[in-house]
Amino acid sequence: MIIADKKPIEEIIEEIKDYNKILILGCNECVTVCEAGGKKEEEILASALRMYFLNKGREVKIDEVTLERQCDHEYLEEIRDVVDQYDSIVSLACGVGVQFTAEQYHSTPIYPGVNTCFLGATEKRGLWTERCQACGQCVLARTGGICPISRCAKRILNGPCGGSTKGKCEINKEIDCAWQLIIDRLKALGRIDEYEKLFPLKDWSTDRAGGPRKVVREDLQI
Amino acid sequence: MNIELLTLSEIKEVFGKEGNFQVNVTRYPRYVDTEKCIACGICSEKCPKKVVDEYDEKLTKRKAIYVQYAQAVPLKYAIDEANCIYFKNGRCKACEKFCPSSAIKLNEEQKDFTVKVGSIILSTGCKAYDPGSHDIYGYGKSPNIVTSLEFERMLAASGPFGGHLVRPSDKKEPEKIAWLQCIGSRDVHLGARGYCSSVCCTYAIKEAMMAKEHSKEPLDAAIFYMDIRTHGKDFEKYYLRGRDKSGIRFVKTRISNIVPMDDTGKQLIRYIDGTGKRIEEEFDMVVLSVGLEARQEAIDLADKLDIKLNKYDFASTTSFEPMKTSRAGIYVCGAFESPKDIPSSVIDSSAAAGLAGSSLAESRWSLTKTKDIPTEIDTSHEPPRIGVFVCRCGTNIAGVVNVPSVVDFARTLPDVVYAEENLFTCSQDSQELMKEVIKEQRINRVIVAACSPKTHEEIFIENIVACGLNRYLFEMCNIRNQDSWVHSDMPEEATQKAMELVKMAVARGATLHSLQEKKISINQRALVIGGGVAGMNAALCLADQGFDIILIEKEKQLGGMAKNLISTIEGADVQAYLNDLIQKVNSHFRIQVLTQSLIVGFSGFKGNFTTEIIVGPGMYERKIDHGVAIMATGANEYRPEEFLYGRDKRVITQIELSEHLKKEGAEELAQVVMIQCVGSRNESNPNCSRVCCQSAIKNAIHIKKLKPEAEVYILYRDIRMYGLLEDYYREARKLGIIFFSYDQDDQPTVESSDKGIVVTFQDHVLGRKFRVCADLLVLSAGVVAEDTEEIASILKLDRNTEGFFMEAHVKLKPVDMAMEGIFVCGTAHGPKLISESISQALAAASRATTFLSRSSLTLSAVTACVDKDKCASCLICVRSCPYEVPRINKEGVSEIDEALCHGCGVCASECPAKAIQLNWYEDNQIMCKVDALLKGVL
Repeated sequence: MIIADKKPIEEIIEEIKDYNKILILGCNECVTVCEAGGKKEEEILASALRMYFLNKGREVKIDEVTLERQCDHEYLEEIRDVVDQYDSIVSLACGVGVQFTAEQYHSTPIYPGVNTCFLGATEKRGLWTERCQACGQCVLARTGGICPISRCAKRILNGPCGGSTKGKCEINKEIDCAWQLIIDRLKALGRIDEYEKLFPLKDWSTDRAGGPRKVVREDLQI
Repeated sequence: MNIELLTLSEIKEVFGKEGNFQVNVTRYPRYVDTEKCIACGICSEKCPKKVVDEYDEKLTKRKAIYVQYAQAVPLKYAIDEANCIYFKNGRCKACEKFCPSSAIKLNEEQKDFTVKVGSIILSTGCKAYDPGSHDIYGYGKSPNIVTSLEFERMLAASGPFGGHLVRPSDKKEPEKIAWLQCIGSRDVHLGARGYCSSVCCTYAIKEAMMAKEHSKEPLDAAIFYMDIRTHGKDFEKYYLRGRDKSGIRFVKTRISNIVPMDDTGKQLIRYIDGTGKRIEEEFDMVVLSVGLEARQEAIDLADKLDIKLNKYDFASTTSFEPMKTSRAGIYVCGAFESPKDIPSSVIDSSAAAGLAGSSLAESRWSLTKTKDIPTEIDTSHEPPRIGVFVCRCGTNIAGVVNVPSVVDFARTLPDVVYAEENLFTCSQDSQELMKEVIKEQRINRVIVAACSPKTHEEIFIENIVACGLNRYLFEMCNIRNQDSWVHSDMPEEATQKAMELVKMAVARGATLHSLQEKKISINQRALVIGGGVAGMNAALCLADQGFDIILIEKEKQLGGMAKNLISTIEGADVQAYLNDLIQKVNSHFRIQVLTQSLIVGFSGFKGNFTTEIIVGPGMYERKIDHGVAIMATGANEYRPEEFLYGRDKRVITQIELSEHLKKEGAEELAQVVMIQCVGSRNESNPNCSRVCCQSAIKNAIHIKKLKPEAEVYILYRDIRMYGLLEDYYREARKLGIIFFSYDQDDQPTVESSDKGIVVTFQDHVLGRKFRVCADLLVLSAGVVAEDTEEIASILKLDRNTEGFFMEAHVKLKPVDMAMEGIFVCGTAHGPKLISESISQALAAASRATTFLSRSSLTLSAVTACVDKDKCASCLICVRSCPYEVPRINKEGVSEIDEALCHGCGVCASECPAKAIQLNWYEDNQIMCKVDALLKGVL
């Protein structure tokens, strides 16, 4: 899941304070689950903005809509008929949703209402951690299901670096050393001999190094 | 409706026998008609006669017409004839003159009548010991020497000092308070009682903790005690909190003299401390922790009923029938049986009701009254027609708020078709008028502006239901507690606030719609889990009431832990009892016993559970549908790892000793040492195991009786022979059993030798080590819960850290569990004696009966509903529900079972997709109130 965090309200206000008709656009996917941009957060933001403008003595129209997803054309079509009524949109979707909405509606300025953080999981309510960097060449088969690309600060592929101390990473004592985790897991799985096998050079062109990426599946295209 | 309350009544005679008693009752006049009295308090306000208030322990005054305390049942006033001016000299009648509902009946007379009943339950309670009868305590000589009950009132916010802790003599805040334990208890001197009152240690700790919280300056709170007896479930943890967190001083000594110092208002206490030093200490206040004793009225009643009392004048009962008196059909519960705390009394009361119900099962429902409810009118297509009823509450509201102007204002509000004021909206006549108005004006939403919904909401709702309206078309606003009472010096603003509150209520009223309450049928079969003494008693009691039972036991045979017990401390034969019980259970046509059975699955909700079990030895699967379940999974004796247990066969546990004494006697025993609190009251198990002191003393007495010259040493931390067990402790000391106390930090040490087990321990009096060479070292091993981790997770039941099942409320619901329809009893709930297990088993059966005796159950409509289209399946409701009700279903969306939902609203407020609404509290039904309030302001 894409994990996002709420933007400070001051930042949002700074961007939209001069507009008169604002649409707050929530998204019912990842940002709902990580409690940053679903219906509830959208209502809270709208309410906070109304209070802000009321205090400033300004009459500003603020409406709220939640779309099922902002990363699909069909769902974005749902606001086609009303979008002209607004002079700005605050999207609470991830960066993908914000951009996709902007691509659909050229004439209305769009502002992000959340900071998109990473691909991660809910460890428990209120705690999300990173698990994937979308490198495009999954290595988890060889690493006991623990990703050295997203969980090792150096993204190295052949065992821990010299900064691994008592199972922790040198950049922060609270971060587990991914390679320590991998070794422990391989041992538990009885596969520690595989640890000795060297990784070939990783092709980073499928990662960000190759520029913007795309997935093309001709078999699926209509 | 089905409880007829006869207050101010006395039983004169009882004729007949079980199933058919004739009780002659004299009812003394209250001089107030309870049908008419609305408890407005005007009579008491106007009454000119002040009387010392017994409820406030004579620290304040009340009037001659009064209610004893705010929570009194029935909440109706009464005239204290002995103090009323009218009854003295024939004049006054102020109450009659001012009563707004003509409830005063000064000519009421005593009535004699007969009631016919099948069973009788005695719950006459006890009274506190009067320390005035012993001058050594100085009670009455200084106002700063108070009883614990007086101190309790002093701490109460509604008490004589408004909850502000001060010394009675000069109203100064005390800096040092002493609590003296065992006042009137554990004392065989003239006027005192030989037994332990059971509750005083825990209440003294509570009072000391509260006193410390009440004090601005750090308060020195010292408790002088002989043994701290916190034997109740989790009470030991409370004691540790008081000692270690609150910093209460515990001094082990019995104080035999208090000297009031006239000049300073302080009291001098002299004692010898643990090191043998003589100490004199002055305290600002002394609290006497008075014990409990039988009431004279109860003793007289027992005589009239011809039931036996024991030597302390408590109702005489037996180990295996703890609720039955000596006369069939008459049961006892609570502190008239023996001194006991609230949870035990509540357990007893359910148990007694269960037994009384068993013998009357045939005639169940024959005298039950039910209400006629008219067919509901469909108002869904009508526009809102709101009626507003504004209560004056005598002068309570109208004395501050301008009620007529609030009514006028209400008439201007949208959708309001009718508004009126009432002197007391809750009074019988107002209710009748309200019904007529609702019908005449075709009102379909009712608003009452009066007191807190807590007091009368149900009366109003019943009233609108009687008019054919749905019960959810009602809204209340509190213009008394939250307005007139708190703004009594600002009448204009209070009136304004009342209008705003009415405006908000009207706004919500318009948004309300009918909700349908679901009726579910109840499967009238019970599942009892565990075939020990508790489980079998619960099963038998339920079966005797006419319900089918499935009793499952994981072992091959029924019996549980009791299989290892020989006799109770009173001398009753456990094996004979157990065999009889097993025989009764096996032969009861309503009980099906499944041994060697394991629970593997569980689903459903109250009234309709399904449990999957695997029944051995064939391991076949079975599904059981049942309406209730009783957890009676029991406990075991702790298997010690300390003191050479398991390494030297001369080290045994108390249960093993009982068996040894039965088989081999005590002939070869010259010296026996017992060590208490093995596996209890330590870091891994902080609780007291409750039963081990009596096991040790029971066995020690047995040894002494078999072989008087044998020496028995008991090494203990606190001897906890609570209640009437204290007699056996005294007997043990008389028989020459030697008691040494040891500290938790200075445990006895043991060594194996050829001659015996050498036990070394510290003697506090001599201040040196003692060594005894014992033929047997007996460990009083604690009680550990049966391993129920798997069952608990399958049934989703809560356990405490020690693995005992948790009750729904520690004091008030001691056999119900948090999940409705599931009950707990016996040692599965916590360590207890056989007699206590039996009464809890009967209580569980009795609570289960209240469920099973009905054919269907009406569920509240205030439950959470999920809008499937909006649900993002984020699991937040699943994670946040305190009752673990929501789940993500096969469609991939959240589903909330309305039969399981408690209507708390947590999920609705947490849902990030706003996909959940709580019925009757939908977002718009709440937000519209805010909008109405702020309309025109913003």
